[in-house]
Amino acid sequence: MVSKKLTVSNAQGLHMRPAGLFANAMGKYKSDVFLNVKGNDVNGKSLMNIIAACIKCGTEIEIRCTGEDEADALAKAVELIESGLGE
Amino acid sequence: MRVTDLLKEQGIQLGSKVNSKKQAIEKLIALQVASGNIADEQRYKDAILAREAQGSTAVGYGIAIPHAKSDAVKCAGLAAITVPTGVNYEAVDGKPSDILFMIAAPPNGDLHLEVLSRLMVLLMDEGFRKQLINAQSKKEFLKIIDKKETEKYGEEAKTQADSNATYRVLGVTACPTGIAHTYMAAEALEKAGKEMGVSIKVETDGSGGAKNVLTKKEIADADGIIVAADREVEMARFNGKRVIKVKVSDGISKPQELIKKAVSGTAPVYTHAGGEISVDDGEKESVGRQIYKHLMNGVSHMLPFVIGGGIMIAIAFLIDTIAGAPQDSSFGTYTQAAAFFKAIGGAAFGFMMPVLAGFIAMSIADRPGLAVGFVGGSIATLGCTFMAPTGDAAAVSGFIGALIAGFAGGFIVLFLRRVFAFLPKSMEGIKPVLIYPLLGILIMGVFMCAINPFVGWVNTALSNGLNSLGTEYKVVLGCVLGGMMAIDMGGPFNKAAYVFGTAALATGGYDIMAAVMIGGMVPPIAIALCATFFKKKFSSDERQSAMVNYIMGLCFITEGAIPFAAADPLRVIPSCIAGSAVAGGISMAFNCGLMAPHGGVFVFPVVTNVLWYVVALLVGSIISMLLLAMLKKNKATEALPIQNK
Repeated sequence: MVSKKLTVSNAQGLHMRPAGLFANAMGKYKSDVFLNVKGNDVNGKSLMNIIAACIKCGTEIEIRCTGEDEADALAKAVELIESGLGE
Repeated sequence: MRVTDLLKEQGIQLGSKVNSKKQAIEKLIALQVASGNIADEQRYKDAILAREAQGSTAVGYGIAIPHAKSDAVKCAGLAAITVPTGVNYEAVDGKPSDILFMIAAPPNGDLHLEVLSRLMVLLMDEGFRKQLINAQSKKEFLKIIDKKETEKYGEEAKTQADSNATYRVLGVTACPTGIAHTYMAAEALEKAGKEMGVSIKVETDGSGGAKNVLTKKEIADADGIIVAADREVEMARFNGKRVIKVKVSDGISKPQELIKKAVSGTAPVYTHAGGEISVDDGEKESVGRQIYKHLMNGVSHMLPFVIGGGIMIAIAFLIDTIAGAPQDSSFGTYTQAAAFFKAIGGAAFGFMMPVLAGFIAMSIADRPGLAVGFVGGSIATLGCTFMAPTGDAAAVSGFIGALIAGFAGGFIVLFLRRVFAFLPKSMEGIKPVLIYPLLGILIMGVFMCAINPFVGWVNTALSNGLNSLGTEYKVVLGCVLGGMMAIDMGGPFNKAAYVFGTAALATGGYDIMAAVMIGGMVPPIAIALCATFFKKKFSSDERQSAMVNYIMGLCFITEGAIPFAAADPLRVIPSCIAGSAVAGGISMAFNCGLMAPHGGVFVFPVVTNVLWYVVALLVGSIISMLLLAMLKKNKATEALPIQNK
């Protein structure tokens, strides 16, 4: 398992478009991807779950990836969040 | 902010007949306008369409949530339509959408995200979606949302409280050998947790060291802790937590029950008393079980020494055999290479008794017990007596002496703890660094010197007795030991035979160890064979997992057979016992010898009379297989062709 903490910097938080982008990108990996938001684990591959978690700008999240390609998955996840998911 | 505050009756249309994405959007915008949320209809529509151009807002499950943040919005609001026939909203999953909510939000603030989030939480529930679609009136539609939102709100508050705990329930599993039960119990608990929706993390204290170790924070945050272990695990960290202590097999057989109890908060609070034997757990553990647990703590720590040392010594003998060394006292050290392996193996073997005694004592009395037990075990090997303080060969009390030393060591320290309980708190620190080691080891020395002559005599008599047993008795012994290995496949019977085998190793009873191991290898192999040749006796799932049993059996992991034995004990266990007993008997009859206490097929190269050993394994496995085939009922419900998939 690999993990990294980071802060969501999108002005509007992880709303539908960025969340969808993230979930789709993560769906390509075999590893399980979880976002820990304020102590709750959220399935990082599910658009609905991410949106339901209501991740606003400035929220600290911990991304955890577990599986054979966990390192790649985490790198991609971090890259996406840090790049602001195209915003 | 509540969904029902944002959605008005004017903003709802039930049973809408829109038949394209464009129509759906126009309808929803019209509803937004009717609700009085929009200042500039055209600009709002442009924003909505611009958003859709970036990708459909259909999220799957028949849900679409078009939305736009715009200054064309007068006040935040929602509009909703249900489309019983579904409308193609270009969803990712390609399915038509039947529930559509449109969000209008002002450009600033998080309201947009909050509404979106809340809608998602509600709409995730399939039952809720069905209710909405079947709603007969706008009033009912709103009422359903209101009810669900209230219900979820309550639940949210509750999960919020729980959310401090990363895991609500923690588990620790451990079994004496740390190969199979540990992981089976962990898997069962995790699976049950998932099914019950209870977050759970399970630490496995297996032979390869602890994995998935619980952190301090996780322990602090957990509601309850399940310790499913047949040997001592690190307990001090659970001080003050609600702890359920059970056998490792309970972790496998009733995980739901355990999790339920852990969540309920009715488990007793554990207070760590620095190693008092199982202080508190409400239902006291039986004496037999306590003894078993302490013994197994010793055995599991001793095994690596015996395995490494035993194989080294076996290699030494093998080298000398190949070199054609004379069969006298120099055998095993005749060639330089053999002497090398013999010396290393001997060094490892030398730790057997001290480690056994030390860790039995540690299991009883925690860390202070270790040194006392260790020394006791060493004295047992040396055979010290009052008459011959440096050791007397006739008074070497060996394995039995070390067992006694282990338990004595534990109770000596417990006794000292009680005696010195009067010391003030400020003197507490002096106990582990002075009192326990000094007085403990002294008492141990006196005790061992006193019992060594007697136990040594028993020990010698026993090993002489075993060595002088006639062949027919040896065969019976082999049958009994082999059969015991198959009775409970890793439980007390199995372990009793196994410990007897390893104990025999120490006095040169290599044939006994050989019979024990072969008995433990038969059950998994027999099941795998049966699944291969008598396919009808197993379901397709069973057959798949049975294949792994070839490997399990060859590695001498009897536990592999447990799932099959548990599913059908009355037929499987007797079949296995019969085959194992025969294998043990054959091994004994042909004087097969094994100097390592574990290793399965990997130590076959160092087995003496290995050909007969292989015969024993084959005959035993085939007998068990045939019995299984005869006794087990066909799984007739499944047709064979389907299973080939």
